[in-house]
Amino acid sequence: MITFHNVFKRYEASGDALRNVSFHIEGSQFVFLIGHSGAGKSTLLKLVSAIEKPTRGQVIVNSHNLNKLGNRRIPEFRRGLGIIFQDHKLLHDRTVFDNVALPLIVAGTPHQEIQKRVRAALDKVSLAHKEKVYPITLSGGEQQRVGIARAVVNRPALLLADEPTGNLDPDLSDEIMDLFAEFNHHGMAVLIATHDLRHIHRLEKPVLELEKGEMVWDDDEDEDSY
Amino acid sequence: MAASVWLHNHATNLARAARSMAASPLGSLMTISVIAITLALPAGLYGALENAQKQVAGWEGKPQISLYLTTDGAAQDANPLLQQIRALPGVAEVTYISPEQGLKDFQAVSGFREALNVLDENPLPAVIKVRPGVTAENPQASRQLFEQLQTLPGVETAQMDLAWVQRLHSLLELGKRIAWVLSGLLGMAILLVIGNTIRLAILNRRDEIEIIKLIGGSDAFIRRPFLYTGLLQGLLGGILAWLLLIVAIALLAGPAQKLAELYGSGPLLGYPSIVTGVALALIGAVLGWLGSRLAVARHLRDIKPR
Ligand SMILES: Nc1ncnc2c1ncn2[C@@H]1O[C@H](COP(=O)(O)OP(=O)(O)O)[C@@H](O)[C@H]1O
Ligand SMILES: [Mg+2]
Repeated sequence: MITFHNVFKRYEASGDALRNVSFHIEGSQFVFLIGHSGAGKSTLLKLVSAIEKPTRGQVIVNSHNLNKLGNRRIPEFRRGLGIIFQDHKLLHDRTVFDNVALPLIVAGTPHQEIQKRVRAALDKVSLAHKEKVYPITLSGGEQQRVGIARAVVNRPALLLADEPTGNLDPDLSDEIMDLFAEFNHHGMAVLIATHDLRHIHRLEKPVLELEKGEMVWDDDEDEDSY
Repeated sequence: MAASVWLHNHATNLARAARSMAASPLGSLMTISVIAITLALPAGLYGALENAQKQVAGWEGKPQISLYLTTDGAAQDANPLLQQIRALPGVAEVTYISPEQGLKDFQAVSGFREALNVLDENPLPAVIKVRPGVTAENPQASRQLFEQLQTLPGVETAQMDLAWVQRLHSLLELGKRIAWVLSGLLGMAILLVIGNTIRLAILNRRDEIEIIKLIGGSDAFIRRPFLYTGLLQGLLGGILAWLLLIVAIALLAGPAQKLAELYGSGPLLGYPSIVTGVALALIGAVLGWLGSRLAVARHLRDIKPR
């Protein structure tokens, strides 16, 4: 699903964010990406979603070689991903329904199909009764769930989430992690960046660890390493 | 993408553009008004000039040559001269106006009666009016005839009406050319006005554009609502320009009518037709679309992610 070959990412302003990163995630796995703040987790996810380009090395995602992906084909590539942002990135002048419908509208999905799929996605995150309200009236956890519904509504092959539980209390964040596990159970590959190690112990999923921009291979914890 | 989806998309965008304009009515109204005034100016100028040219074209076909005879021979018989002129080739009609007749005509024009009564002698010369026939209707032939008439004995000065008509005609032609150049410049002004409006709209919706890019919206998809906004504003501006022209002409109708009566011409100003209205709306729409297309292309590139 995701392959990195000796990837470097250098920001003009702050130097190397990723150094010689290589890894491979097979099929529809659920993988955690951990590391301290500033380790390069967000940068790695940005490379996966073609928001940033690697300075050096090769990135292959969902059978697309991103090094060779032209700008014109990026939108089509992104439609195969579901991305969840820590700050939700919802449109505040549109209803919950319209927010969740956006990826389908962008892809030119027929009207009836949109109705059906948006309702199903909202149902999954237990927000079916909120489809007509505006995001601003929702709690942080609810807004995050709207963001999740939007990410999965077009049934992506790969779900990416950057610290999706960063601002939530433990119960809510457990709920959200369980939701991801359920999507994964239905065949969606999931890559989640987090610094909350609690989830890793609770869910027992493979882990990729970054430290100061480099991949760490930790052999002590067999069940966690990948 | 199925045709119905495509159509639905465009309808949605049009509705959204209308709604976003309604959301900031003052700004939209100002943009539309600027477009309307900018379109109405050259259109009005061109229309007026074209109308005037039509009136002049009516005169041009029948040039008239006026021969003012020497006053010292006023008493003498003009008949031999008239015979001579009638015999010339290319002459269609010859009219003799005696000094007495000329004085009467002149007195008929109000305001001069008293002034002329003061004079104890008629100062007017006898005048012969010559109208060239069809054979002499082209400018060169009329000019030849004019030169011939000028040299006849007993003729003090000769004047060809055509000369000023032609001068007026070229003046109007120049005016029309100016209107065209003006249209070009003002058209560019419209592109800039629309471009600026769209630039602000893009800045206002930076976050939305970023999100749509992140979830896989193509540039065409992102561009569409802005293109519709530009198109709609241009279209409404064109229609408003047409209404402005109608109002302007209604305001000028009185004085223009008086002027037309003085010159004995047809109406100098005409109301713009429905066709003109449609043309203005279309021109506005095209300029609006183009202006926003250029602005969107420039400003979309600045918004990350690419
Ligand atoms: N857009 C950027 N421009 C410059 N430097 C950046 C940018 N994004 C991240 N960085 C730097 O790259 C490093 C890794 O950041 P990031 O990927 O956000 O780490 P994490 O998500 O693990 O906290 C940090 O030193 C950060 O300052
Ligand atoms: Mg981060």
